[in-house]
Amino acid sequence: MARSWVAAIRAAGVVPAAYVPEASLGRPDDEVVAASVVEDSVLRAHPVTAGAWAPPAACFLDGIQHWRVVGQSGVAPVVQAYVAAAVRRRGPDRRPRTLAVRAREFVITHLAALPAAARRALEDSGVDVVDLPAAELGQPGRTLRAAHVRVDRAREALEHELAEACLAALGPDEWLVVDGLLSDTAAAAHPRAVGVIKSHGTQFFSGAELECALTLPAGHRTSVFRPESHAHRPVYSWYLRLWPWEGNDVLYSLLRVEARAHPDTVRAAPALAAWLAAERAPLAAPDARWDRLLYPIHDVETYLRSRMPRELVPAPGSRLPKTGT
Amino acid sequence: MIDRTGARATPVGRVVATEQKPATPHQFHFWTAIETTIGIGAIVKVAALERVVYGVVTDGFAYSDLATPLHDVVGAEGDPVQAAANPTARAEIRLWTAAVLRQEPEEPLQPVPLGQVFVASDADVAQALRMDAYVGGAQPTAIPVGLYTSGGLEAPVYLDADFLLGPEAAHLNISGVSGLATKTSAVEFLLSAIFQRFPAHKGRIAAVCFNVKGPDLCFLDQPGTLDDEDRRRYARLGLEPRPFARVRYYAPFKADGVNLNTLRTHPDLVGDVEPLVWGLREVLDFAEVLLNRDDIDAKADAFIDFLADRVVDREFHDGFGGTHRVATFADLERLFRAIFDGLELAGRSDTWRTHHIATIRKVRNRLANISTRCKGLVTDDGPSNDLPWGRFEDRTVYVIDIANVDPLGQDLVFARVVSKLREHLERRDLGVEAVIVFVDELNKYAPADGPDTYVRKMLLDISERGRYLGLVLFGAEQFRSQVHRRVVGNAGTVVFGRMDADELATPGYQVLSPATKIKLATLPIGELMVRHPHFTQPIFVRFPRPAVLRGRDGVERFPPAADLPFADAVVRQLVRLDRRVRPNVVKDLIAERDEEDVRRALARTRQARPQDVLACFRRELGGRVAAAPPAPAVGSAGVPPLDPITDEPY
Repeated sequence: MARSWVAAIRAAGVVPAAYVPEASLGRPDDEVVAASVVEDSVLRAHPVTAGAWAPPAACFLDGIQHWRVVGQSGVAPVVQAYVAAAVRRRGPDRRPRTLAVRAREFVITHLAALPAAARRALEDSGVDVVDLPAAELGQPGRTLRAAHVRVDRAREALEHELAEACLAALGPDEWLVVDGLLSDTAAAAHPRAVGVIKSHGTQFFSGAELECALTLPAGHRTSVFRPESHAHRPVYSWYLRLWPWEGNDVLYSLLRVEARAHPDTVRAAPALAAWLAAERAPLAAPDARWDRLLYPIHDVETYLRSRMPRELVPAPGSRLPKTGT
Repeated sequence: MIDRTGARATPVGRVVATEQKPATPHQFHFWTAIETTIGIGAIVKVAALERVVYGVVTDGFAYSDLATPLHDVVGAEGDPVQAAANPTARAEIRLWTAAVLRQEPEEPLQPVPLGQVFVASDADVAQALRMDAYVGGAQPTAIPVGLYTSGGLEAPVYLDADFLLGPEAAHLNISGVSGLATKTSAVEFLLSAIFQRFPAHKGRIAAVCFNVKGPDLCFLDQPGTLDDEDRRRYARLGLEPRPFARVRYYAPFKADGVNLNTLRTHPDLVGDVEPLVWGLREVLDFAEVLLNRDDIDAKADAFIDFLADRVVDREFHDGFGGTHRVATFADLERLFRAIFDGLELAGRSDTWRTHHIATIRKVRNRLANISTRCKGLVTDDGPSNDLPWGRFEDRTVYVIDIANVDPLGQDLVFARVVSKLREHLERRDLGVEAVIVFVDELNKYAPADGPDTYVRKMLLDISERGRYLGLVLFGAEQFRSQVHRRVVGNAGTVVFGRMDADELATPGYQVLSPATKIKLATLPIGELMVRHPHFTQPIFVRFPRPAVLRGRDGVERFPPAADLPFADAVVRQLVRLDRRVRPNVVKDLIAERDEEDVRRALARTRQARPQDVLACFRRELGGRVAAAPPAPAVGSAGVPPLDPITDEPY
């Protein structure tokens, strides 16, 4: 379907274009949020015994997003976007199997900026169109950021849908592990859901507590704390170091875990940390983020990428004209 | 026998093709679940894009998403125990390589489509192996060879009689390590299948089997032990699990001339064994087999031809006043003596009938040597007892036991029997239209290198021209690479049992994938890999145990009798001819008689097969003659007698 509408709008006068943003841009996450330690009086390191406990079954939720500019009508880009999310359940046989998967392909553009024929071509193709308001058009950076936000939201919407569906069907001993913020979703209130955050743009501590968090030895976690963010649902959180960071950087193999804001979470934190620490193996290599990417999450990503439309897979190589040989 | 009722419609895999591993018209790759019934040798079907492709799995691969083994070590912190305890099993693949057996439609020939892969059903196996051309129809020519088994499915596999036994192609070669009884068992099973299913429109067929080691083929008429699984396999193949109904055994005598040189000498069975005894006529035609080519030059060759053409079995004047009718080695020896005596008396001339005396002495020496080395098979002066040339019976196995015969005698038996088969088949007067000749130890009889013997030439001749005559060679050997390439190359059907790894490393097996070689090197008893002109790839099949008594079991159930004293052995042979013969009468009759006279009388009685055996034997034996000094030969006074084998340097 995608190939046909791209060809149609180009035939209708949209100038062919090719721009693929870096897939790993992720969400901008550079806020400063206060936090209160709920496990100890001050933040401190606790040793973790990897593998001391693990649930008999666990579900892992992750999503992917890919987008590219396929045409340009004046200053209005035509963006082709694809988002997908899946839950893979791992049972006693240790092999993840897909529980649910959702995918969506859509176009982001400012419809009014397109030639009439191109608009008709889009309508005829049946593809979803997200119409950017005229106010968000302008310099490419600004417009593309706006498109990026729409893609993020679409992916998050799929993830939230799946999280809710998964939690509704979650067995009594099963857990759900969400890649990213738990506090963004309804799962934040569930007793058997955790979020695993790999990026650390948000700063919760300063001074000695920040040093404690960032220089956590391997196989340790911090005390449980409560981020005081008003933009998110209330959760409890702690840092967990999977591998020694010495020789790398302080964020190397550092995870932040989120779970529901409840006293039981404080009691469960040692066991949950032990479980997640054990998930560091097998390594998620060759993914560049292998030091903090849990293998089952990597598995969900691999699964989703295998289902992605071929034309969205970033082509290696430069944008120099092809020589034809 | 082919079940066309149900085919499993659940796909077990999917064809994948990458730039590095593309699908081609002759090969494709597919993946399956990790837990799968697919294995090396499995037949699969790909259905996509209105095209059906059948393939046989030739190789398998398993790998995970692990980029480098070091990642596994790092993840487990160097502890294999910890690695096994990883909470998540790595994503891994079972990737298989399959060789295309058949495509439908066959034209245009295209790369295998990237479709779903199914396990082949009975009907699929028949299609894949192109058996549909000969299993059904008005005149089916299918011979069951075994069951293809994979993933709980089991399908009969058939050979085409036109390509196994001629005239389209012919001959079968079977290789395998010794000691697993696979080669002999496979041939026994296949012979039984041929006898049961050889199509009537192709005429009559018999088999001649040379038993060259132990008791392997000595009990083909006795039922063996089968279990329920064997019987089920027979039923699946549409065959009756029964021993051969008609088996004729032939074995030469031991040197004593009365005890048979075979392991089938148990009193209950020995009565079925016919002595194989040949005289001068039978031997002289194949003197080339017995005489060392380095030793016998053109002059000797010419003299032997002279004897065969001008002397044997006809009135012959020696030129010294004597008339001879040479029919036996003893007659020939008398002729030689007459020649030497005559030459001596005539003035010590060096030539006789243009032949130099040295040549005559050399030939005499070598021929005398034959009757010595092959004593028991070759008789000096008795009548011969041979296979029933011209009276071969349909679906009958003729076993010639030469296991304990001198290698020279084995060569002679082989060469003469095969030559006679060929002669009669050419004349269409053998009694059957086709004969299977089973020869074990082809390494020995048709080696890839070594001297160009008469036997090897004969095997080459059968291999290259036998199919036109109905003379089919079933050859077996341990090392195929050591058999003459024209012998194995002309075998239309090739069967492999468990193979030696060193043998598999030889160039002849380069076409096989490493996985197939490993499977061949570990093949269990009862499983074979078969190549047949209709099959574009080798196929693994299982066959039931032959329904005949194995040689080893046979000698336990029917222990060979100890050699009898001369008189008892003679009695036993006469009783076999006529149960009314009373042993004591025979013993009295032969007491103090010359053993040679008794042997001769026994042979003539056996040849005559009279109503009254004892009377015939008594007549042939003649009356007792008082011992008297031998009378000097007329005209030979002064000539010293020659030893049977002199010390002369010829």
